[in-house]
Amino acid sequence: MVTGDRRGGWVDYILDGLRQAFVLLFTGDPQTYSAVQITAITSMLAIAASMALGVIPGFLLGYADFPGKRAVRTVVDSMLSFPTVVIGLLVYAFISRRGPLGDLGLLYSVSGMVIGLTILGLPIITALTASAVEHLDARLKPTLLTLGASPWQVVVTTLWETRFGIMLAAMAAFGRIVSEVGIAMIVGGNIKWHTRTITTAIALETSKGEFAMGIALGLVLMVVAFAVNIAVSAFRRISEK
Amino acid sequence: MNPPLYELRNVIQAHSGRTVLDVPALSLAAGAIVGVTGPNGSGKTTLLRLLAFLDRPAGGEIRFMGEPCLGREGTLRRQVTLLVQNPYLLRRSVRGNVAYGLKARGMSDVRGRTDRALAAVGLSPARFADRARHELSGGEAQRVALAARLAFEPQVLLLDEPTASLDAESAKLVRTAALDARDRLGTTLVVVSHDIRWLTEVSDMVLAMEGGRIATPGA
Repeated sequence: MVTGDRRGGWVDYILDGLRQAFVLLFTGDPQTYSAVQITAITSMLAIAASMALGVIPGFLLGYADFPGKRAVRTVVDSMLSFPTVVIGLLVYAFISRRGPLGDLGLLYSVSGMVIGLTILGLPIITALTASAVEHLDARLKPTLLTLGASPWQVVVTTLWETRFGIMLAAMAAFGRIVSEVGIAMIVGGNIKWHTRTITTAIALETSKGEFAMGIALGLVLMVVAFAVNIAVSAFRRISEK
Repeated sequence: MNPPLYELRNVIQAHSGRTVLDVPALSLAAGAIVGVTGPNGSGKTTLLRLLAFLDRPAGGEIRFMGEPCLGREGTLRRQVTLLVQNPYLLRRSVRGNVAYGLKARGMSDVRGRTDRALAAVGLSPARFADRARHELSGGEAQRVALAARLAFEPQVLLLDEPTASLDAESAKLVRTAALDARDRLGTTLVVVSHDIRWLTEVSDMVLAMEGGRIATPGA
């Protein structure tokens, strides 16, 4: 049975953590904001690279018919559940000093983390874009043809009609990338001021008993997720007009 | 003497090995209004898709203005358009939908043509041009789809049961706009409808279809 004192104890503990978290955020604690900044940089670069590399293959996977399409789709879908720690290990193996890309000095760098996070985001963008194209209204293509669209215009318009699906894919990938720990920890090394992200900082600070910073960074993550959601909704409203 | 607009010779269409359309001979004159009627599954839509150059026939030949169509479908589709019973509107504004065919053809005066096409189907450009597709009723959506096709002044307008799911007022506006295009621009109309009375009233020729064949071509 939980006594009143004990209940009061853990409530105070959490409230105190929240209070300290707001102090850290509103006083501009440099260590907190360094993690936020590195997370923003790595996530933005990784999502941009994932979309640049994944949207067109995803579109073609959903739109075109070609030999081996089902096998390619199975591989891409399987990569959705690839453990992030394994991705981290593989990237580590390639960019560590003894690896084939060891001379590039990517280990424990933002660039190395971006490579790993891009590998995480790429199959999400590709698979969800392909699904979005496959679920487009079957009347779209004949409509475009009867409006006089050329084959190239049909492809471009179909891609534009898929924009909300692609945005949702980007949102899902961003959610995975921004909250990722394994790759950031293994490839980035969780080096303060250099490669420490929100998630690796939360893991470290909480294990050290610095609960307040964990909460502060967690709050930032939730605000980011909320902001991305609002931005996608706004984009949807505007581009339907 | 000018050749017929469409000429079909021994045209057969088949789905999954089953013949769904068999037209030994059919000629449609330019500027005519052709009504097509018949029960569900009689081949009306299949015929319209062939006339719209969306599908190639499994056998036989279609000629357009005296020339064989095979291999020229992409070009011919810019002169012919099809409006179905439940048309798809693109994820953009009403103006964006109506302007699409104009932009695809690189035509000039897109805004003016769009406004005139909307007005022709009884939709005020000031009220409707900026609306999204989900802000339209079924009748309004159908009229936007018709405006999108009238805007580029097609040589042939194929209508597949265009008023079947509309209220009386919207149906009247769709019919009036289609007939007006024929009167103003000489657009050939091919209309599939179950409203035999209306078809008989306005058509130069009514094709009664059954089992994939034209049972009674006549006036």
